[in-house]
This record gives sequence, structure tokens and C-alpha cells, in this order.
Amino acid sequence: MAEFSWLSRSPLEHVLVVGAHGARDVAPGISLTEVRNFDLIQVMARRGKGAELANAAKVRFGMAAPDLPKAVSASDVTLIWSGPDQFLVLSKSGKHTIDILSQAFSQSASLSDQSHARALISVSGAKARAMLAKLSSLDLHPAAFPIYAAAATSIDHTSVNLWRGDDRPDGQAVFNLLVFASFAESLWHTMLDSAAEYGVDIGYSGELG
Amino acid sequence: MKYSIFSLARAAFSGHKNWQRTWRDASPKDRYDVVIIGGGGHGLATAWFLASEYGIRNVAVLEKGWIGSGNAGRNTTIIRSNYGLPGNTGFYELSMKLWERMEQDLNYNTMVSQRGVINLYHSDAQRDAYARRGNTMRINGIDAELLDLAAVKKMMPFLNFDNARFPVQGGLLQRRGGTARHDAVVWGYAHAASALGVDIIQNCEVTGFGRDANGKVTGVETSRGTIGAGKVGMAVAGSSSRVAAMAGLRLPIESHVLQAFVSEAIKPLIPNVMTFGAGHFYVSQSDKGGLVFGGDIDGYNSYAQRGNMPVMEDVCEGGMALMPMIGRVRLLRQWGGIMDMSMDGSPIIDKTPVDGLYLNAGWCYGGFKATPGSGLVFAHLLARDELHKEAARFRLDRFRRGAVIDEKGVGAQPNLH
Amino acid sequence: MRIVCPFCGERELGEFTCLGDAKPLRPAAGASEDEVFDYVYLRDNIAGEASEHWYHGGGCRAWLKITRNTLTHEISSVEPAAGVGARQVAK
Repeated sequence: MAEFSWLSRSPLEHVLVVGAHGARDVAPGISLTEVRNFDLIQVMARRGKGAELANAAKVRFGMAAPDLPKAVSASDVTLIWSGPDQFLVLSKSGKHTIDILSQAFSQSASLSDQSHARALISVSGAKARAMLAKLSSLDLHPAAFPIYAAAATSIDHTSVNLWRGDDRPDGQAVFNLLVFASFAESLWHTMLDSAAEYGVDIGYSGELG
Repeated sequence: MKYSIFSLARAAFSGHKNWQRTWRDASPKDRYDVVIIGGGGHGLATAWFLASEYGIRNVAVLEKGWIGSGNAGRNTTIIRSNYGLPGNTGFYELSMKLWERMEQDLNYNTMVSQRGVINLYHSDAQRDAYARRGNTMRINGIDAELLDLAAVKKMMPFLNFDNARFPVQGGLLQRRGGTARHDAVVWGYAHAASALGVDIIQNCEVTGFGRDANGKVTGVETSRGTIGAGKVGMAVAGSSSRVAAMAGLRLPIESHVLQAFVSEAIKPLIPNVMTFGAGHFYVSQSDKGGLVFGGDIDGYNSYAQRGNMPVMEDVCEGGMALMPMIGRVRLLRQWGGIMDMSMDGSPIIDKTPVDGLYLNAGWCYGGFKATPGSGLVFAHLLARDELHKEAARFRLDRFRRGAVIDEKGVGAQPNLH
Repeated sequence: MRIVCPFCGERELGEFTCLGDAKPLRPAAGASEDEVFDYVYLRDNIAGEASEHWYHGGGCRAWLKITRNTLTHEISSVEPAAGVGARQVAK
């Protein structure tokens, strides 16, 4: 049988324009960065195997998978809560691909590879909360949504996984958004519209934040 | 003469505050030939048709609050007969024809305005669906015109024709559709029925049914005493399940909340009734200038006459997609009514398994336009004990027989109709 | 109406979808036509406190069992529905 070679590309590749967007007479209040080329695996416990999955996750990642809406991070992986008895595994460079994880969780969970099914957008900057407040009904105040808080929610009628990563070196909060690839362009436009008044610095990165 | 230019001028001097009620606010008698539960448009229309068409004048209409205090006063006042399925098509056209002669029939100005109803379409597939519906209407003798983009642009140049996501491609127009003044419809039927001897009894809540040894209904228990009746008709959409439960019946109905909205008054803009085809939004402009609009039901069971924010947002988004320039218009009022959502989206007009008890229910959110038709066919059923030919498919047992009339084709999931 | 999802916390109503009364149970295979008709078409249409199934589709996608007063919209309890996540399905 012939070998297939899938050419993967970002769902935002043809709409993302690197550089400045919106208001130009101010320092950009928003940074929008798309993160490309990541591995993302959805892990869902099988019926009655919640505890087994928790144990297997601890063995595999050296830390407990989140059982509350938050994210946990190790040097090479971030686990993001996505619902009861399920979480997302975000990593790079082939360390936690579906082939590897399916062995670790063969007894306890069902896995699905979402690596090229989602877009990952990182929002930061002095006006990040003001911009997200136009779109999201969640309270993103630091007291209510601290570092590593996570939520499965909807923004502009679009399902997203939202979590706060480590702050930027300048102390600004970073909000990460995972969105279905086919909805990414629509959400991207909505975010650009919401951010425009604050001035936007658009870019993309191959590195996880 | 009760109403004339002179009486109007005279009343203006006292700020129009001294107009007299034109129907009798009656007290209950011991017994009536027919008791109708529900003093909304449908109940009052039924009483008027019983008295005027079928010669049954010993009739009472019982209303828990004041007449027109339920859905009759909570709708968006649209009248039309653009339905597609057998059963609905003929019935709503019967109703449309009764709207056209209502003011003469009742000698009352119900402000029937045949300004046209246009359903916009936004894709080739939707155009085909509307062409089919229009053809169905025309085969049944109902007016329908499929308009192309140029015709819609000429009629409503203010629409956003540059919407890339939902481009307006044309519309299905029923010129005979339009609006009527909802409160005046209630008062008109009350006025005309009362003149023929019908007792309209307000603040009279039904609390139970009187039954004889064979189970036949003999009357109703009310907050104003026992009232005997030869036959009892229920016209209490929104509360049908609760009233039917007093007679031991369970109905194929859920109660849901539907919101309606009116904006502050603006200059004349919208010449007709129009619907957005890519979302749920319908709008007309009242004579005072307010935009009267609505959309989908909230989607959860409710007897509270108020809704929630997500549907408000959804409806306003629909309006903005068609008319971005209304974005700065302020919302004046918003309210909710309780809909009898049936299992196929179509009404039920039938005898019940309880002898002497008759049902007029399940209007979903199409009740206002049906008011005169509903009154006629329900009166026919009450007077003759047989279904009117234009309502012959609205039987209660149609669900069991598999003869549903499901315009949307979503099945027994009422919050989707 | 805002709903406190047992998994996500308090969220706006727009993230949820109502399925309806949680009381009727699907008749067993081989049930009579009357039972099936009753299950599919007839409703208690409760005016007052009702137990309902809701779906948090705009969030964690869990099915919830919510006790809510249909006269006031007041919600008195929100629980995970049977079988949510890796839980066993109730018999």
C-alpha cells in the first residue's frame, strides 16, 4: 500500500497577517499569537475507569491530571481539564503522541488525536481582559481566574478550551485558547474586531508558551 | 352613534381617559349551554361565532384575569397564511379570509393591515424550499410571490445586502399577510359577542370540573362559584395541561416561554412584516413607530411570563444581521408569553375523551393569526359535535395514529418546533 | 437564569440546552404501543418544581439533572446525570 504523507498546515495560515492591526497611535494593548505544530491528545476515561486513568496519568506524566477546571504543567507537557474524567495533553516534538499515549492508557481511557483538529491562540497584553470580556461571559479577574485556571466554555457561540498560562516576563497575563480548526477563522476575525481598538500585535510561533 | 369624529374630538378633551367599555362585565349565572374557559382572542372569538353563526347565545367566557391578559396581549400581531402542509394550509387561509372581513363582521376597528409578509431567503436551497412553499400555497388558492433580489432591493432598500455570510437573495411574499391590533381584536370580539348576549366573566378562575356519574362534564368549579354547563370548551393555550389535568387528562403539550420585543419609536422604515431566513427573527413596525419583533422560544419549559438573555441576544443579532443601522435603537420593552408547544408544532381542536369537554390547544407560537379561524372551527365543534372540514386534521388522536402535521419535521421535541 | 455546573461552576444560560422532563424512562423493548405512545407524546408539563435533563454543550459537555421551578425559574439543585464522565450508568 502506498504511504500517505499528510501535509499539515495551520487553519489560520491564510488569514493570519503578521504585524500591527487596528489602532496605530497607541502601543499595542493586545498580542495575538498563534501557536503552530503541537501535539494534542484528548484523553477520556472509559466507563468505571476514572481512578485507573488517574493512576496511569500520574505514572506517565509524573503529576496528577487535573480533576477540576485547571491546567497543570511539567517541562514537556501541559494537561488541560476538558470535562469530567477527561483532559487534553498538549506537547511538542513528538514526546506525547497518540502512539505513545495509547499504550500508557490502553486499559483505562479512549484517546483521540486532535493535533491538527484545533488551533491554539495565545492572547496577552495590557488589554487582554478587556478584549476577552467582550466575547466571554467568564470572570477573568486574577482573583477568579488565576494562573493555570482552565474552562471549557463558549466564545461567540464557538466552543473553546481556555486556560491561563504562565505570565509573560513583563507580568502580563497569558490566555490560551484551543478552538476547533474549522471554527478558528471565524473566531480569529471576531477576536481581531474586538481587539482592534486597543492596537494588536499579531504573530505566530512554533513554541508553546 | 357611539364612534364618530365628534366622539373622538370630545374624548380628546379628557385625554381619552373616559372611553366606556363596550361590553358587559357580567357576573356568572347558574348555568349556560356552553362555557368557554379562557378570555383570550380564541375564547372570545369562539363565543362570538357560537352566537352569530350557530345561534347559541347562552354562552359564558370565563377569564382568570382580565380579557386579553394572556397571549392575546403578548404577541407580535402578525397575520399570514403561508403554511405548507395539508391541514395547516386550508385552516390558516380560512383564518386569513376571516381577518379580511373582521372589521365589518364585528363593527370594530381591529386595525387589520395587509401590508404583506415577506420571508427572506439567503441560499439557493432556501429559495427552492420557499418556491415549493409558494407553489403549495398557490395550488391551494393562497397568494404567494417569489421575489428575486432586485425586487427585494426595490421594496426594502435599507437591508444589508452586503452581508457575506447570509446574503439576501430574495423572498417569498404573501401580500395579503400583515398585522392587526392585538388588543383591539380581543375588545372587538368581546364587544360583538357581548352584544349578542354572551356573558364575559373576568376574575373567574376555573378550579375544577363538575362530573356526573358517567363522567360527563356538568360544569365548572370556579373562584366565583359553581357554573353549570351543557358543554365546556377549553381555550387556555399556555395553561392547557394544567386545566386538562383537572379533568384527569394528560396532553401532548409542553409549556414554553416566547419573548417579544418593541423598540423606541423611529421614523417609518419597515413597510411590511419580514423574517430573516438565516436565523430566527421577524419584525414589523407599529403605527407608533416602534419596531415590534421576536424570534425563537427560550427552549426550556416555563410558566413564568418572562424569558432570559440568550434569546434576547440571538434575536437582536438576527435584526442586526439584516439591518445594522438599528444597532443604536434602544429596546423599549420586552415580555414573555407562555406557548402551548405541541408535539408536532400544530394545534389541537377536538373533543376530549371526557364527555362534554372540548379542547382548543397546542397553538405553539402561531396562535394570534389563527384567532378568527380558531373561533369559527371551535364554535363549529361545540355546536355540531363534529370537526369543521378545515380543522379535520387537528385531532387529538393524530399522534397515536401517526398522522402528525409537522411543518418543521423535528418530531416530538417541542422546544425545537 | 444562570446554572451552577457541578464541574465548571456558575455559567450563563446560553451554554446549556434543555432536553426536558427527566422523569419519563424509555420503555423496555417489547413494551406495548400504549407505553411507547405515552413516553413519546404525553407530558406531565409540570407547573412547579420539576426534574429536568440539561446539557452543558457550550462547556464541559456533561449531562446534568436539574431541579427547577417552572413557575419561577428558580433552580434548587444541579447534579451530574447518571453516566456522566466515567461513572456507571444507573439501571
